[in-house]
Amino acid sequence: MPPLLEVDDLHMHFFTRDGIVKAVDGVSFSLEPRETLGVVGESGSGKSVTALSIMRLIPEPPGKVVKGDIRFRGDSILAMGEKEQRKLRGNRIAMIFQDPMTSLNPVYRIGKQIAEPLRIHKNMSRKDSWDAAVELLKQVGIPQAADRARSYPHEFSGGMRQRAMIAIALACGPDVLIADEPTTALDVTIQAQILELIQEIQARTESAIIMITHDLGVVADVADHVLVMYAGRAVEFGTADDVFYRPLHPYTWGLLESLPRHDVDEKGQLCPIKGQPPSLINLPQGCAFRPRCAYSQGVCTMERSGLVEITPGHFSACQFSGDSGFVEKACGFLSRER
Amino acid sequence: MLTYIGRRILQMIPVFIGVTILLFILRAPGVLPGDPIKLITGERAISPALYNQIVKENALDKPLWYQYGRWMDHLFHGDLGESYQLKRPVADILIEKFPNTLKLALVAILIECFMGMAAGILSAVKRYSFWDVLVTLSTSILVSLPVFWLGMILQVIFGIKFKEWGLPYLPISGMTSADFPGWVHYVLPAVTLASISTAYAARITRSQLLEVMGQDYMRTASAKGLTGGQVIWRHGLKNALIPVVTYLGLDLGAMVGGTILTETVFNWPGIGFQIYRAILSRDWPIVLGAVVIIVILVMIINLLVDISYAFLDPRIRYGRVAK
Repeated sequence: MPPLLEVDDLHMHFFTRDGIVKAVDGVSFSLEPRETLGVVGESGSGKSVTALSIMRLIPEPPGKVVKGDIRFRGDSILAMGEKEQRKLRGNRIAMIFQDPMTSLNPVYRIGKQIAEPLRIHKNMSRKDSWDAAVELLKQVGIPQAADRARSYPHEFSGGMRQRAMIAIALACGPDVLIADEPTTALDVTIQAQILELIQEIQARTESAIIMITHDLGVVADVADHVLVMYAGRAVEFGTADDVFYRPLHPYTWGLLESLPRHDVDEKGQLCPIKGQPPSLINLPQGCAFRPRCAYSQGVCTMERSGLVEITPGHFSACQFSGDSGFVEKACGFLSRER
Repeated sequence: MLTYIGRRILQMIPVFIGVTILLFILRAPGVLPGDPIKLITGERAISPALYNQIVKENALDKPLWYQYGRWMDHLFHGDLGESYQLKRPVADILIEKFPNTLKLALVAILIECFMGMAAGILSAVKRYSFWDVLVTLSTSILVSLPVFWLGMILQVIFGIKFKEWGLPYLPISGMTSADFPGWVHYVLPAVTLASISTAYAARITRSQLLEVMGQDYMRTASAKGLTGGQVIWRHGLKNALIPVVTYLGLDLGAMVGGTILTETVFNWPGIGFQIYRAILSRDWPIVLGAVVIIVILVMIINLLVDISYAFLDPRIRYGRVAK
């Protein structure tokens, strides 16, 4: 039985006037029903582009999949015709976007926007789809759903809009739900509510979730597996426990270290990863993280190593991850309570 | 919504008073050249008794504010005075001419709506294609052509040359003639009148649609599984058209009052042509009456445009208190 969703060595490049932007440059993962995959990385690491590629929402040109494949239940999405892709989109694979303030159409009622996928994919009548939309609003925790369905987006708060976006994504009962930084634009108390809602929905609907975020705390809460991305490539992959408690890649260490520490000293210094992510047009020779890595050595400039399985199910792209003495260096901050 | 409309109608009153006062100031002695009595009587010499009688009849010896009040009073009784030259009630002349202008303006607006929006949508959707270049180029040319010149060129080509060449040709003057059915007379004047605004409407539609196409909610619509066409028709256009509607509404208002050039070139028996002739002969009551009616019509059209926003954009449901 093929996996529910499989991304296989995906290379999504953008052909721009300034050069080829290798936004996604060899990413692979697979997803099983009910699984939650967390994808983490800085801005520009290729997380969102990976998600939009799965949805086939990257305009081509300038984008182009130069290599690799995306398969849904074994069938290549890339090889499908536009019509079949549309049948998956919003129906079997649905997406929640980052900014709920701008992701809803300001001129249509919330209920109509939630009903829309039902009307196109399930051929429901205006009335039935409206009733279903009210029901969905109830499910995502909007009080007085029947009334609120008649509201326009500007009458909703940010948190309510994101709930409405979730209702849109859930409308057809998708097998895969892609959440692209669903809480980034919301304030902290609302973030927790939205995450709880997503988890609750997963428990009820058995859909698989790809949770894209730069917030490691979010991933720690919800993910089964974690994929760490840097400069368009995967640098570490493993179970959430592995990645959080036994991280192998210096970039992951940097991410974990940069988390604000509430336990030590509230006025203590933050520890960001120094430097900037590299230009995706002009990647450094060898390991892309080398210029910012405190542990880099001469060999790092030589070649870029792909993901290597260090312990069963735990992969790292760092040359030295196999060296237990090297990994020990991460112990300083790993010992602390998280 | 109703309170909003009510408030807007109340706002129209000071605007109306302001405009009419302004017009009346022009009538104060010395502001504009010409003696109204001479205009009424013509150049022939008249007796001082008759002169005084005309002055009295028209209240020309009274102060301006009195004349204004008298004129307003008459206006509310449907009396706009009498034309100096034509010796007919101004109201009758306006009732006769206004429908011709309105008909021409409506035909022109329809052309603008369909041609302008269609061209704008085409060039936005097929951005950088041959069609986009064609639309951009032809709109650039159109907006820089003077209306009267375009009108005359169209007359020469489609009226005179086509006739010479034995092709089906179009009438170039007036609203009726023995040779053509009535509607054919609309073609050239309406196209001329619509030309510049069609080009602007196309450009506004294009830029608005391009902007809307980059919005997040368009991506959401695609993510629902709509086709590219559905995304643009259902989610794009309604957002993109709000400024286009504004423009077309303002343009309709402008055309109701200001089609002087087109009407003159095509000898169109409308209000613009009438105003043009009245100004030349300083036929003051016609100018004043026509401008007042135009002001009222423009205010009504602007109100309708504002109300139409509310239907297009729910964020502008005026005066409604959020729950």
